[in-house]
Amino acid sequence: MTANVEQVLAGLDKQNSAALGKLIGRGNVAQAEEGPDGTMRATIRINLDEIAWDPAVLVLPHGGKVEIDVVNDDLNTHCAVLPSNGDSQFIWLTCNSKGKAVLELDGPGYYWYGSATGNDEGRGLTGVIMVLGDVPAEARLDRPTQPRP
Amino acid sequence: MTDYVDAGTAMDLSGLSQVPGSAPQVANSVNYERILNAGSEPQNWLTYYGGYNGHRYSQLDQINTENVKNLTPAWVFQFGSSGLHAGASTYAFETTPIVVDGVMYVTGWDGWVWAMDAVTGQLHWQYKHAIPFDTSLCCGNVNRGCAVGHGKVFVVTLNAHVLALDAETGKVVWDKTWGDVRAGESGTVAPLLVKNLVIVGSSGGEFGNRGHLDAFNAETGEHVWRCYTVPKPGEPESDTWPADSDAWQRGGGNTWVTGTFDPETNLLYWGTGNPAPDFDGEVREGDNRWTDSVIAVDVDTGRIHWGYQCTPHDLWDYDSNMECILFEEDGRKLLGHFDKNGYFFVLDRVNGALVRVTPFAERIDWGEITADGNVIPKIYPDKEGENVHFWPGPAGAKEWTHASYSPRTELFYVPVQDVGSTVARVRRQFKESIPYWGASVTVDSDDMNGFLKAIDAHTGEEKWRWHNPTPLCSSTLVTGGDVVFTGTPTGEFHAFDARNGVHLWQFQTGSGHHSSPISYSVDGRQYIAAPVGWGGWVEGFAPGMLGGPHGDALFVFALPE
Repeated sequence: MTANVEQVLAGLDKQNSAALGKLIGRGNVAQAEEGPDGTMRATIRINLDEIAWDPAVLVLPHGGKVEIDVVNDDLNTHCAVLPSNGDSQFIWLTCNSKGKAVLELDGPGYYWYGSATGNDEGRGLTGVIMVLGDVPAEARLDRPTQPRP
Repeated sequence: MTDYVDAGTAMDLSGLSQVPGSAPQVANSVNYERILNAGSEPQNWLTYYGGYNGHRYSQLDQINTENVKNLTPAWVFQFGSSGLHAGASTYAFETTPIVVDGVMYVTGWDGWVWAMDAVTGQLHWQYKHAIPFDTSLCCGNVNRGCAVGHGKVFVVTLNAHVLALDAETGKVVWDKTWGDVRAGESGTVAPLLVKNLVIVGSSGGEFGNRGHLDAFNAETGEHVWRCYTVPKPGEPESDTWPADSDAWQRGGGNTWVTGTFDPETNLLYWGTGNPAPDFDGEVREGDNRWTDSVIAVDVDTGRIHWGYQCTPHDLWDYDSNMECILFEEDGRKLLGHFDKNGYFFVLDRVNGALVRVTPFAERIDWGEITADGNVIPKIYPDKEGENVHFWPGPAGAKEWTHASYSPRTELFYVPVQDVGSTVARVRRQFKESIPYWGASVTVDSDDMNGFLKAIDAHTGEEKWRWHNPTPLCSSTLVTGGDVVFTGTPTGEFHAFDARNGVHLWQFQTGSGHHSSPISYSVDGRQYIAAPVGWGGWVEGFAPGMLGGPHGDALFVFALPE
């Protein structure tokens, strides 16, 4: 018996549908805005009963400092443990709460973040921050441009 | 519009711990002179090998062959792994702790650095560098240690940054990007602090980069010099690469293990890694210098003074990154180097001349190196898709983990791996960030052995051996109490009589050893510290232990008070 692929695909985006939780990395993608001082700004939120971050993937145009508004629109208490050079950043998110996190991240590359509360573990609330760009010119190898996949 | 509850601003996660965030100011007085004379303060372990000479020898003798059987854990540090990180299945605790006047500085997987009390194990501070999940890692999520001096802790990150942290607070003083993660470069080496320079070496040879050694100003982070191990066309030794070819551009020769230093020659002695692609030599005809070599580099200028290639035109992945141990013989300045290819090289460290070469491996059939250094390949991947089997396999007869040398016994204590491998050449196109082996590889998982061998420094002759059912891939430590320490993949930490190999003591730590134990003392009490945590390139050096228990503990042993 073959599963209906379209049905499965639709269910990957929802809590307790195809699988138990929303599949990691599926959902909206949004890019941080860059202010005149070079600081990037963005918002991530937890929507009601989704047990997931929106956007699922936050894109930073380059490495550096990013200020993130962290919003909990859910009727459950959550938290966020976010990557940052020096120490991970922790924020506790009671129902309908809003706070801020300031992160310092290298680029390029992508990072996972998540929650450290027991009811969130294993269910979702694992998000991605993707940093675009290249390393500084002085850090690159002295060789001609190479082929990439 | 929602009337939100104010959740405030995110805080440092370590704020939810009992870590105070400051350490005693012991590192301010650590400078070049103190590291140069590290032997005069055996209570400390001031630099990666304990001294610039690479001996991994501690003069401390409170723990000796008579009482070592009474060793017990004094304290244990654990940290664990939380959340997702790169190489989660391959992370390992490969570090060498540094100890300065009662403070221990330890690096871990995934960007962790800790300062702790060397008597109690209580943390003073911790630092976490955020590492991208998609960083290309050759051989696991690992770091081999830090350098301490000028009030700072110097460490590299997996995504190829060099950091200087304030040794008192763990806060960043400077941060320099020194490798290209898009080219598959990474950072795992323990920096070496010489004069006012922080010396670091590149990782990523399996991704076809171009190996290099770099120096940074310890105070400012200014980049002082870069030394490429693979020459561009027209540079010295470029005739060992095919003409009119781009092979040199991705030729490998990385420098991911810390070198040694002789202040009288002013030379760094640094091993270089495999050429790329590892096993497909047809695309890089020639000797491919300075891959698989010992290079002597002027510490002030970064210029290669001499080189000696242990495996010309490597077809077996026989890096020569392993340590170069400095010793003297009849007034002659020498270095000893145990190579992956199974041979023990003794070189004149003034001019790079071969003094003698002798086998130390258990089984060698890839080829032969004659007494005058002539290399005769015998079994190697040649025809496309055709399997060949050879000993030692690509992890070598000795991994990066280090031998030690006792000036009391004049013996080297060498962790030996006896594992073969089946390899078939598979031609592939080079693409940045894609592994560039040029082969299909399966390392033996059942027919394997390990040995601790004591080798005479002056003849290369084996004086004694201890057999282990699994390959030995932990560094050894030898002490003034004539005790040799090493660990096994199955978790036992062992002590032996350095003079005759008699087994004296063991302790099961719960996870395999792939790191470098050290010794130090505080207030007259001698300690032995052993980082424990199995992982890394296990499929290369001990695939029969790929399912072994992981871990992340630092065990510190002492005699009962």
